[in-house]
Amino acid sequence: MIPKMALASDVDQHVSWAPDREQKTGVAASVRGLSKRFRKSRVLEDISFDVAEGESLVLLGASGSGKTTILRIIAGLERPDSGRVILHGKDVTDLPARERGVGVIFQAYALFPRMTVERNIGYGLKIRRRPRKERRETVDRLLQLVQLEEHRKKYPWQLSGGQQQRVAIARTLAYKPQVLLFDEPFGALDAQTRVHLRREIRGLLRKVKVPSLFITHDQEEALELGDRIAVLNNGHLEQVGTPDEVYNHPATEYVATFLGAANLLLGVITEQSVEIGSARLPAAKETRRFREGQSVKLVFRPEDVCLSPDANLPEGCRRLANGVVEEVSFVGSYERLNIRLDLTHRRQNQNEAPLYQVTINTPERMTGVPIIVTRPKPEANATRYRAGDRVAVGLTSFSVLPNYTLARQR
Amino acid sequence: MVKIPSIRHVRGFDVARPVSIGVVLAIMLPLVILPLVSIFVVGMRRGPGFFWASLLAPEAVYALKLSLVTSFWATAFNVIFGLLAAYVLSRYDFWGRNAVIVTISLPTAIPTAVAGFALLALWGPQGTLGRFLFPPEGKQLMFTAYAIILANIFVTFPLAFGVIKPVFDTMSRSLEEASATIGATRWQTFWHVTLPSLRGAIVSGALLTFARAVGEFGSTILVSGNLAGHTQTAPLYIYAKYNSGEVGSLEAANAIAVVLALLSFVIFSVLFFARDWLELETQEV
Repeated sequence: MIPKMALASDVDQHVSWAPDREQKTGVAASVRGLSKRFRKSRVLEDISFDVAEGESLVLLGASGSGKTTILRIIAGLERPDSGRVILHGKDVTDLPARERGVGVIFQAYALFPRMTVERNIGYGLKIRRRPRKERRETVDRLLQLVQLEEHRKKYPWQLSGGQQQRVAIARTLAYKPQVLLFDEPFGALDAQTRVHLRREIRGLLRKVKVPSLFITHDQEEALELGDRIAVLNNGHLEQVGTPDEVYNHPATEYVATFLGAANLLLGVITEQSVEIGSARLPAAKETRRFREGQSVKLVFRPEDVCLSPDANLPEGCRRLANGVVEEVSFVGSYERLNIRLDLTHRRQNQNEAPLYQVTINTPERMTGVPIIVTRPKPEANATRYRAGDRVAVGLTSFSVLPNYTLARQR
Repeated sequence: MVKIPSIRHVRGFDVARPVSIGVVLAIMLPLVILPLVSIFVVGMRRGPGFFWASLLAPEAVYALKLSLVTSFWATAFNVIFGLLAAYVLSRYDFWGRNAVIVTISLPTAIPTAVAGFALLALWGPQGTLGRFLFPPEGKQLMFTAYAIILANIFVTFPLAFGVIKPVFDTMSRSLEEASATIGATRWQTFWHVTLPSLRGAIVSGALLTFARAVGEFGSTILVSGNLAGHTQTAPLYIYAKYNSGEVGSLEAANAIAVVLALLSFVIFSVLFFARDWLELETQEV
């Protein structure tokens, strides 16, 4: 296995699978203002984004969000109602699929069932009437790259899902595609293979340096595969950013809730802090873009909550409120707590101890706001909580989003 | 071959198995198997020498040849047309599409004598078109080998189409889309991707059409004129010999019947046993 791996990377140093280009513009593919309707329903609304040279961008969205339509429009399999598709500076909106030179890896791979692995890979060059010798050399190099040399004479149905996928990728690399488009590449596979294959593809793409666009509804997949992630909701782009940006600084409530779990609290901007019921969260930086008294949403992830049995919250943790532990459950690798925040009962007095009136069955039982908190194992083992314990709740990281009453106002 | 899974309902020896198989065979015996066996028996009655002699009689050889040639052309036409029609009708939606599908399938439901009569009514010397194109005193289209081909085309029209169309319908569009994004033209895609996937359907469609055309009787007897050594196909030859009442003509008819029966047997064996081979490479796609 190891010598073969070394061989494979040897090969790549001499051959580039990215298209030959004089100057690198920086932008490999871009779509500008794409809109599309099917009959009465709006599928895409004014979609614009770029895929940089050598970058992998993930289009993340629920089913029906229009992500597959975007891919099909870029590939030339579908026409947009308006908007342009530009590949390496050339407007290809009016070109048919076969003149665009994009590589599409279809969900079920769409390998040609009556062709062997090597004939599948060589098909693009055969169509382009390349000399036999060149075809054979390219196929050999690609078989080596995707490590399928011993399977070259097999038919697609004789291969595993992962091997078929590699054939599908090699088949597009053969003609040096402008951009690779992956349509839900791991949708048909079980969870374990999925994780394994995604690393494999990531490694492969790093080697070949072809700009790629992935389509997925799986947020974990998006975070791992994407240099950047574009979150799509109901036909429009919510946010485009690095995995860190979209996960830790979601621009909208949809992004916050679609990428992993998030707690949401309604609040009002008051003196450079977020006022949520009786609690006040100091947030000078986060509230800068809002006006005094504006209605906002406080969004934070379960793992960004810190707890303390007394008032001493750790360094870097901003105090939010007190709460009562309602439920503690172990979820494998971490611990999950349901906590009801005391936000509506009353405002704390200036000199009052933070955990004054420690009683169960305080009014927050009924009126408090529930949040979900997760803690890693070491922390859970260091301080144990049981249902009924009262805790001080703080946040290490959170985002403040405008609270529009109508989605239209976004 | 597919292994048949079975459920055990009883302990020990399952009597239902031999009994049910026996019943099926017992029903088939007088209805299908014995009639077929008896053509061999009657055909061989005067010994193999006579069998060969009646088989190699010029009129018999001509009738067999005519049947094979006319069936071949009808098959060639219907497979190509079936392919085209299946492609058009499964890829494009247009006004009257369903009406076309029903019309294509119609000839299976029409009695073959009616089919023959319909052809005469159109192309015959008194027919609606034949009156102008083939007047009684001039050259005729009817009562020639071409008329036999026309009749064969008519009665076997929907067979190849019926086998190819469902395969088209269920074929994943992404194969053709993949081919297009790789850079193939429509024609290249059809030739390299679509057609190979239809191989099984085309072969079985062709065999079915051919088998049906070789045996066609009802329409051919009307349009061919049934001239021995001229427009007499193998089934017509059998009929003529049976009716002639000459000594040995019954055995002569039987010799041809044996050949036709064997031909059908071979064709359907190929259809059945080649199925695995034809479908092999589309598994798990």
